[in-house]
Amino acid sequence: MSSINRRDVLKLAGAAGVAATSPWWLVGKSQAQRAKKLVYWHLPNFTPLADQIQKEQVYEFAKQAGLKEAEVEYAVVANEQATAKLAASIEAGNPPDVIRLYESNVQFYGSQGHLLDVTDLVAKMRREPKGIFETSMTAVMYKGRALGVPLAVNPWPVHARLDLLEQAKVEYPKTWDEFIEVSKKIQSPPRLFAFGMCLGLVEDTTDNVMNLLWCYGGKMVEADNKTVVMNSPANVAGVKVIEAMFKTHKIIPQGAISWDNSGNNKAYQSKQAAFVMNPSSIYAYLDSNDKDLQKVTGLFPVPAGPKGSVAQIDTWSYGAFKKNPYPDLARGLIDYFMQPANYDRIIQSTGGRWVPVYKRLFDSPFWREKTEFKHFIHMAETGVPVSHAGAPTAAAGEVLNTHVIPKMIQRVLVENWDAAKALEECDKRIVEIYARYNKA
Amino acid sequence: MVRTTSGSRRLLKWVGNGLLVVLLVWTLLPFYWMIATSLKADREIYGFEATLYPHRPTLAAYGRLFSTTPFMKYVRNSTIIAVGNTLLSLAFGCLGAYALARLRFPGRSLIARGLVVTYLVPPALLFIPLFAVMSTLRLIDTHQGLILAYLSFSVPFSTWLLMGYFRSVPLELEEAALVDGCSRLGSLIRVILPMSLPALAVVTFFSFTQSWNEFLYANVFVNSVEVRTITTGLSLFIVEDVFFWGPMMGASFLSTLPPLIMYLIFQRWVVKGLTLGAVKG
Repeated sequence: MSSINRRDVLKLAGAAGVAATSPWWLVGKSQAQRAKKLVYWHLPNFTPLADQIQKEQVYEFAKQAGLKEAEVEYAVVANEQATAKLAASIEAGNPPDVIRLYESNVQFYGSQGHLLDVTDLVAKMRREPKGIFETSMTAVMYKGRALGVPLAVNPWPVHARLDLLEQAKVEYPKTWDEFIEVSKKIQSPPRLFAFGMCLGLVEDTTDNVMNLLWCYGGKMVEADNKTVVMNSPANVAGVKVIEAMFKTHKIIPQGAISWDNSGNNKAYQSKQAAFVMNPSSIYAYLDSNDKDLQKVTGLFPVPAGPKGSVAQIDTWSYGAFKKNPYPDLARGLIDYFMQPANYDRIIQSTGGRWVPVYKRLFDSPFWREKTEFKHFIHMAETGVPVSHAGAPTAAAGEVLNTHVIPKMIQRVLVENWDAAKALEECDKRIVEIYARYNKA
Repeated sequence: MVRTTSGSRRLLKWVGNGLLVVLLVWTLLPFYWMIATSLKADREIYGFEATLYPHRPTLAAYGRLFSTTPFMKYVRNSTIIAVGNTLLSLAFGCLGAYALARLRFPGRSLIARGLVVTYLVPPALLFIPLFAVMSTLRLIDTHQGLILAYLSFSVPFSTWLLMGYFRSVPLELEEAALVDGCSRLGSLIRVILPMSLPALAVVTFFSFTQSWNEFLYANVFVNSVEVRTITTGLSLFIVEDVFFWGPMMGASFLSTLPPLIMYLIFQRWVVKGLTLGAVKG
């Protein structure tokens, strides 16, 4: 019998284990270099050109700051996956230095103490000639301090098929009542429905529904960010309009109740809907993929209700995380991005996807020459976030992400609940969410 | 009577064949749809009517895939990680399974049960603690880190499966080898492993496929293009609320090929291994 026994086998297994884990001795990569690195997580822009310019700017800044190329980590992170990555990296104490944050995320991470105070950078932007769109500030302000730098205003215009309006010899409707009448004239179901309103259990539904409710005087929460007012006569009136559009006038496709966030995009891009309320991602998509449809696409403010036409905007921001060894580098990178000349290059390269926060950039021919953009400046100046009349707080973010409002509208459209009853239930749920955050 | 039995058999055969056809369509339709979509122009994809086949086939999506995205880097990374994980899973699985199947030591049954428990813990619970571990070990954004993370689910599976299989190998054969002067390791390599090829094929196939298809850890532990795998690369074909279906379907289709090739190579042993493992595990 051999001299090797079971102990030897166990020793061998142990040695193999050490051998397998030994690469970390050899690699020593991420964390060791992290201390010297500038880490930027990039969420892809709409056009590859914008991504390229942004990447170049990161390395230009790094060079100016005396960093070597190896001391910069430029990571492309898919929008959909950013939350999980960020959660893990924050938990491990290793978040990126700078990342682009969606609206309520600034206040979400800010309220947990993760973000650097960048009030001075925002103040500098405000000092630029003509200043910035102050509507963007609600997203970044937390307890009187700016915890993010607004990088773009994102209006939600109505994308409208001009050719269909022309064929029916009608103008773009000014009110929701007119909208219904025009819709009935231009649609030819089942091939073409007039209104691609998102009604699935997704974020876009909250945006679309709330935007219409505002026009009827409704809102979700008061400006104190405490008093929830979902259960109001104005909201009941607005929900009834949606119900009538869906059930009586049948101008919204039935399938819209199962759409995801891209459902309205697809409906418009496939010419199955004449009107959709969406950020200009559709327009930007058409710019590079379907010029013919783009030519007959107009971007308009939403029709007015009894309380007028209320524009929706959301704001994307740059956030810098506190847990990084060189906060000045992070702040410096944001400052570099936001220098008007650098910033304008990125904004224009997105083909109209992002509306600049600097008002004076609207003076450039890029924005003035295209008639489609003529409403953008007004929308950017007067627009409100989905949490209106409150700020896009962490609580508002949870309302959005847990689809409380889409569930309400589906109660009405699918389960035939009375609008008031559905809003009462919805109100209770939102009260619970806000109470939890306000208590904390 | 004979005629009736024959008729019943024929009917059963038809029903069986019918079911097989349904299953075949069920299985192959997604592949067909992926290929067809990847060969359509954007306008056709977004057209009013869904077309069953590309009316004007184009390779534009593949052109975009290879010219404007680092798809080949994703393929390289997925290959490195899947092959690395498979080899290590085999090595650890064999040694661990042998120890658990043949040696007597305190805590043996506890470790064996622990393997199952470890395998059953969902990655969604583990990814944050694992990220912290990887960060401390400086393994974030490295191939090695991802391989190590994948070993957390592939080694328990491999060990458990091989353990059952090794137990089915007659002890007398190994004892004969030991009597003839073979060492423990020698008997493992020369006697047990050659008799366990079906099980090794299953382990190889599953470890490779699981690593190839894994998404969550790859998403959280990897930042750079240099290490990014296909699964996470695919998610970059969705920008905001717009899907770039053509390249995404092209990439999805191409990414199914390596596991398919693996399966075709190991098919004979995999089927045998699965059956035997099921009975004797």
